[in-house]
Amino acid sequence: MLPHILKDKVGNSLNIIVNALDAGFAVLDKDLNIIWANERLPVMFNLEYDPVGKICRDVYKCECNDNKTCSVLQVLSSGKKQFSETQLITERGERRYIQNITTPVKDEKNNITHLLKLSINVTAQEEKIHQLSLLRKLAELMEGTLQIDRLLHLILTCVTAGTALGFNRARLFLVDKERDIVYGKMAVGPSSMEDANRIWSEIVKKYEKLEDLIKASEDNYRDDTPLHMITRLMAYSLSDVREIVVACIKEKRSILEKNAFSNPDINKNFVNMIDAREFVCVPLVVKDEAIGVICADNYYSQKPIMEEHVQLLSTFANHAALAIENAEAYKKLGEKVVQLKETQERLIRSERLAVIGNMAAYIAHEIRNPLVTIGGFARTILRASNQGEQIRHGAGIIVEEVSRLEKILANIMDFSKPVESVKVSSPINEILENTCSLMEPYFKNGRIKLARKFNAMIPKIVIDPTQIKQVFLNLMKNAVESMPGGGTLTIETVVEDGHVIIKITDTGEGMTAEIMQNIFVPFFTTKVDGTGVGLAVSQKIVDDHGGFIKVKSSLQEGTTFSIYLPI
Amino acid sequence: MKTILLVEDDKNQLLLYKQELSLEGYSIITAHDGMEAVKQIKEELPDLIVMDINMPKMNGIESIGRILAEHKKIPIIINTAYSSYKDDFMSWSADAYIIKSSDLTELKDKIKELIGKV
Repeated sequence: MLPHILKDKVGNSLNIIVNALDAGFAVLDKDLNIIWANERLPVMFNLEYDPVGKICRDVYKCECNDNKTCSVLQVLSSGKKQFSETQLITERGERRYIQNITTPVKDEKNNITHLLKLSINVTAQEEKIHQLSLLRKLAELMEGTLQIDRLLHLILTCVTAGTALGFNRARLFLVDKERDIVYGKMAVGPSSMEDANRIWSEIVKKYEKLEDLIKASEDNYRDDTPLHMITRLMAYSLSDVREIVVACIKEKRSILEKNAFSNPDINKNFVNMIDAREFVCVPLVVKDEAIGVICADNYYSQKPIMEEHVQLLSTFANHAALAIENAEAYKKLGEKVVQLKETQERLIRSERLAVIGNMAAYIAHEIRNPLVTIGGFARTILRASNQGEQIRHGAGIIVEEVSRLEKILANIMDFSKPVESVKVSSPINEILENTCSLMEPYFKNGRIKLARKFNAMIPKIVIDPTQIKQVFLNLMKNAVESMPGGGTLTIETVVEDGHVIIKITDTGEGMTAEIMQNIFVPFFTTKVDGTGVGLAVSQKIVDDHGGFIKVKSSLQEGTTFSIYLPI
Repeated sequence: MKTILLVEDDKNQLLLYKQELSLEGYSIITAHDGMEAVKQIKEELPDLIVMDINMPKMNGIESIGRILAEHKKIPIIINTAYSSYKDDFMSWSADAYIIKSSDLTELKDKIKELIGKV
């Protein structure tokens, strides 16, 4: 029933107009009671009851009751119309943004008799503004994330974050140019309906704080979810243009697929793995090149994907692609720094070897000459028949000691003399076999067992056979010496990742971590009569061949030296 | 009696070689550097030369070059503390390359092989 203030002036036709308005319309008395409302008002607020007779704030759910914040009270006191905005959650749990205009109705004496309150639902517009501001925040967050896996996860979280893009599930695919494929890298999304409901209710609670949501999802990140694992199994050749994901990359445009299962124009491999009738693929484009694809769907809610969602996702994908590019560049930079450090260390090492080598050569020669004289005369004395026993004994000791010194000097000079290697294509197994037979006298009459595990398929590699044989000899001698009570010496050859690997394993005493650290340092030795150049020389030789040596050792169990030579 | 020219700048070492090789029954003449060796040869031609390399004034390699230019057939043994001169092609023209050792057996054997005993 229309109140008299309206009826008096325009009659019944206004009733139709007021109800046809896409706006809530109510008449309030001066005590803020609703005395009339149009049909839209209860619909807009999801009311289960008639608003008429209720106090204004109960229906409009505004939390104000003093002059300063309540727009209706302000109208009463000022006599002028007022605008106001409220944000509320209806009794059905839906979010609403409402704009109100309250206007006073006055009598002939200019006294306010009633108030008219017009309410417009602006939820859709508000959400769009909200989305845009979230998008901006996301872009900022992404740009600050340089660790690639964290970034990818952040991107997918954003795609599925209820308020921003709000898809149920999101998967990320990356292009591998070398292998000419696009492959599944990561996926985020609930794996069941219950899971989905739980997550959504959590998201609603944290509606305003995106950072919290992302932080929480990061803490909860798991890479063992079924969705993630299925996605990791996906890979498609870039020549398969009938697969949607490939088409998306080739054409560098978003593809919204509404009816994947019955679309005759597409291959079903990708679709069957996605397992959703409706989904969207947007490319990640950097510098006019697609580096990947985000694929999102509403598997659980079955909410249709609208063109505007695709638009929003594309905008987001552009930011995401840039951020990925950034992170990739950062990662590459990190790798280069590591490379540089390694090169620097190698340089320092070879520089150190060169300095030590030069010094050693100089000293060795300076010492060798007088040694020849000392030892030579001692031998003369020793041979002379007219000497007393004591003198002969003394001369004998001098001869012996000089011989020992000369042997050490010969070793050091081998180390320090500039080696010009002659590299030829050589069969490693044959060289090893050869070295083993040279080593036979050291095997102590069978107390050391030799086990050969040669891979017959090893290709010939370009090496200096004499030098490499020297390395094998050094390492095998060390191995034998670490097993004074006998044991097993295992020689194994393997091909792996562009390297021939020769593993020399003993069952000897093993080394402490401290010794391990120093074994390649020139003149470091644990042997009573060692010179400490064997391993340093071996490393230098392997280094010169573009290879490297790895050592694994555990006390009382034994040691393995692995020589890696590039093929 | 066969004559050996010993070229060696270290005087104690020279004494050692002189004494040892005399005991083997050779007649020994000496020079303290390459220059002296070249001069010596003009006065008396030995049956064999034992030549050090690293010496003042004129090193052994250059000295060998000069000597061989005039006396192509004379046997020369390089006796040095350095193994690196092996890479110098001039050293290939010597009949033997011996790395110095207090044990003179190798040197004596080589001499015997080249010119026979006495």
